[in-house]
Amino acid sequence: MSTQTKSIISWVVTFIVMLIITTPGLWVILSGFRPLQEILAKPAIWIPQRLTLDNFRAIFGIGETQIAIPVLAYFRNSIIIATTSTAIAIIVGISGGYAFARYRFKFKDTLFLGLMLSRTVPGIALSLPVFIVWARLGWIDTQFGLILVYVALNVPFTIWLIDGFFRQIPKELAEAAEVDGCTRWQAFWKIEFPLAKSGIASAGIFAFLTSWNEFALASNLTRSTNSKTLPVGLTDFIAQFTTDWAGMCAMAFIIITPALILTFIVQKHLIAGLTFGGVKG
Amino acid sequence: MSVLTNIKRKMFSEQATPYVLLLPAVIMILIVVLFPLIFSLYTSFTGYKLTRPDTLFKIVGFRNYVRIFSDWDFWVAFFRTVGFLAVVINLEFLLGLGIALLINKVTWGQRTMRTIMMFPMMFSPILVGFQFKFIFNDNVGILNNALQALGITDAAIPWLVDGWLAMGAIAFAEIWMSTSIFAILLLAGLFAMPKDPLEAAQVDGCNAWQTFRHITLPFLMPFAYIAMTIRSLDVARAYDVVDTMTGGGPAGRTELLWTLIARTGYDSANMGMANAMAYVSIILSIAFTYYFFSKLVAARRYMGGAQ
Amino acid sequence: MTEVSLQQVVKRYGQLEVVHAIDLEIRHSEFVVLVGPSGCGKSTTLRMIAGLEEISDGKIVIGDRVVNKLPPRDRNISMVFQNYALYPHMTVRDNLGFGLKIAKHSDSEINKRVEEAAEILGLGMLMDRLPAELSGGQRQRVAMGRAIVRNPDVFLFDEPLSNLDAKLRVQMRTEIKKLHKRVNNTIIYVTHDQVEAMTLADRIVIMRDGHIEQVGTPLEVFDHPVNTFVASFIGSPPMNQLDGKVIAGEGGENQIALADNITIPVPNRAKAHVQVGQYVIVGIRPDDLTPKNHGMKDSGETVSFDLTVSISEPLGTETILFSQIGTKEVQGKMLNPRPIEGDERLNFNLSLDRVHVFDASTGQNVLGPHHG
Repeated sequence: MSTQTKSIISWVVTFIVMLIITTPGLWVILSGFRPLQEILAKPAIWIPQRLTLDNFRAIFGIGETQIAIPVLAYFRNSIIIATTSTAIAIIVGISGGYAFARYRFKFKDTLFLGLMLSRTVPGIALSLPVFIVWARLGWIDTQFGLILVYVALNVPFTIWLIDGFFRQIPKELAEAAEVDGCTRWQAFWKIEFPLAKSGIASAGIFAFLTSWNEFALASNLTRSTNSKTLPVGLTDFIAQFTTDWAGMCAMAFIIITPALILTFIVQKHLIAGLTFGGVKG
Repeated sequence: MSVLTNIKRKMFSEQATPYVLLLPAVIMILIVVLFPLIFSLYTSFTGYKLTRPDTLFKIVGFRNYVRIFSDWDFWVAFFRTVGFLAVVINLEFLLGLGIALLINKVTWGQRTMRTIMMFPMMFSPILVGFQFKFIFNDNVGILNNALQALGITDAAIPWLVDGWLAMGAIAFAEIWMSTSIFAILLLAGLFAMPKDPLEAAQVDGCNAWQTFRHITLPFLMPFAYIAMTIRSLDVARAYDVVDTMTGGGPAGRTELLWTLIARTGYDSANMGMANAMAYVSIILSIAFTYYFFSKLVAARRYMGGAQ
Repeated sequence: MTEVSLQQVVKRYGQLEVVHAIDLEIRHSEFVVLVGPSGCGKSTTLRMIAGLEEISDGKIVIGDRVVNKLPPRDRNISMVFQNYALYPHMTVRDNLGFGLKIAKHSDSEINKRVEEAAEILGLGMLMDRLPAELSGGQRQRVAMGRAIVRNPDVFLFDEPLSNLDAKLRVQMRTEIKKLHKRVNNTIIYVTHDQVEAMTLADRIVIMRDGHIEQVGTPLEVFDHPVNTFVASFIGSPPMNQLDGKVIAGEGGENQIALADNITIPVPNRAKAHVQVGQYVIVGIRPDDLTPKNHGMKDSGETVSFDLTVSISEPLGTETILFSQIGTKEVQGKMLNPRPIEGDERLNFNLSLDRVHVFDASTGQNVLGPHHG
């Protein structure tokens, strides 16, 4: 086979792979902008005849066709829960990651292993006892209850990533700063923290995506507009016998957009985070 | 007062610092994971039913475990889960490796393609489930529409209704969602690969396949194991996908351990039993993670020698 | 006036003791070099002086203060690290001024002192670059600049030249010496390179396994090594060490019998310190073992014997000659080089008054720890 045929083949294969990766999501998003009749049409209408914002109007309760799904409240809950839990997980993660990267202490390996293992507990398995305990404490269907769970869910991974990043920074830098007149605290904030920023950012994105997208726990710990998040809200569209495809597609668009925007802004950090934390950690 | 200053001094002494720094993390894990798990371990020895709170104190010993271990449905779900994970993770690795090698070869648009690859990673598993429920829908799904339009089939193929097809559809969704992690990490590995060993191998007379098999692949394995470790932390996300696509149906033929737990715990309100199953699933998850993590540690060790 | 004093200083990691109760007095504006093989405790000692390691036992005094419990920032020291430890996210200017900024000096003051330091080290053109954009030698200069900007009582150097290539190392060595002449502060300098130690130090502290083996000026440790370890560590090529036994010679003059039936008289200064029958190690520097008519010191008491030269390494002004006595390889030196064709038998002169005698069982110089 000549080099040219080879390269043509690899181009074609690459193109098909990219198509498989992008088509399903794009098709769903596109459908969010199509009227329901067109989606359901038989035989299928391939080229959209008409693009419309009706589906969005409907789920936000604007215009004639209204759907009794409080998407706005879900959206607000999702934002509050995801950002708050991410912020806390990052603070806890910096603190813990720093401890693992910089100190030697008894039970270090055991503690690290314990934290990581806590992350392996499947959400649905964890949801059962948390559900019972939260119910007793009155935390079911509260934003607080879900935030707490998401912080715990994210802490092991943020610690793992941030630990890896702090380890990249030579210990001598903080020592030099201390000799230069810094307290340990100053040395951390002026030298080590700025250098670990990109790692912390990537840990933050992962934490945010996890909280934003989580379903197994949220679906069992939330009940109403008090705390229901977007992924849980998506299932509202599935009524007993019918599925509102158009509405769901519009909702999917709403869920994916913030995650997409955020990820594209910091994608460099994401890849660095994934590789760094792991290989050298 | 002196006690307080004493505590303060102890807190800021060098030996105590790491423990103080780790305290928030440990407290979080204690409240949200460890205490509930201890509690659920207890309930797995009771006949606890959500509908009857007094049953929380009805100790039944190992009855729940005996029951699930002698339950045919449980074993089917268990082995289906293990088989599903084995197939899916291996396929993700192979596909991810293929994609990484492909993109590494392609000289133009690498960055764009890497960005595109991150696309599925941002999707909520529930969204992935919904998306493929939509695509595989026998009536309005794009797949059947396409097959019919191309004249490959006249009848609607019941993708999510037939047991085997549904399992395949779920596996497809799962692979679509997670192959990127492998591809991205393996691509990063290829970028980080030193050129010297490759050239040394060529000088030593290796052909392309031998070079790949003996030099490239061993170098990439730590990256693959990171991906697998990250992936195994999240294996139970498949619950979201299955729950939306088929809900474990039809007639339990796509039931995985996790959907079975949810059904037993929430729908049948049989918490004691569900918690017993949950423990089996936790051990399964830990086993997967431990396996990949130990591989990662071993692979890292020999990688250290090459640099 | 800033003296540094270490009194019975001990460093333990758990059960493991790595520095064993060392004593050391360093005078004001003295340049002291701690030297020894890796793992000898020299860096740990320096880091204890800096306050980066806790002191397990004993006392460290800087000036008139016991600093045991003081954090690094309160010790008025500065340090140059082996890997420079430049702050990667700051420009050269900010790196230099960081310490002053932390100490809350005024901007104009900071500027003035940073410019001064930059001037001394020739960093003028590089002020707005980041460390990543500098060469190894430039980074080294910035690290030194950062140390002098704060005008501390004591400078600590932790193997500062070990990451430079050989040529640059020699150049920076000279610059450090110049710098010391100029600022005249107390300097404590750690290295594993004995050449660096010899060329820089007012006094050398030779360490091994957490003990101080010898303290002295470069010439003292060279001319009077207290034991075989110091003898082999200082000097290049290293001192030849040959096993010997003291025997009674003719006319009451004791002799030392080496292998291959070579005997040499006991050197004058060692005569009173050895007995017949004692096993000794004879230390001979290659400089003092030269073929007849080719040495630099043919004067003084000499003894001569024949050796077969198997390999020679011409270095230009001199040639290193490799031979054997018994099973031990010995090196000699030849000035006025001439070609040597393998296995040539030459008559060598040995400058007897420069021969060192160590007790074979203890390894100590028979003259004792005090030089005469």
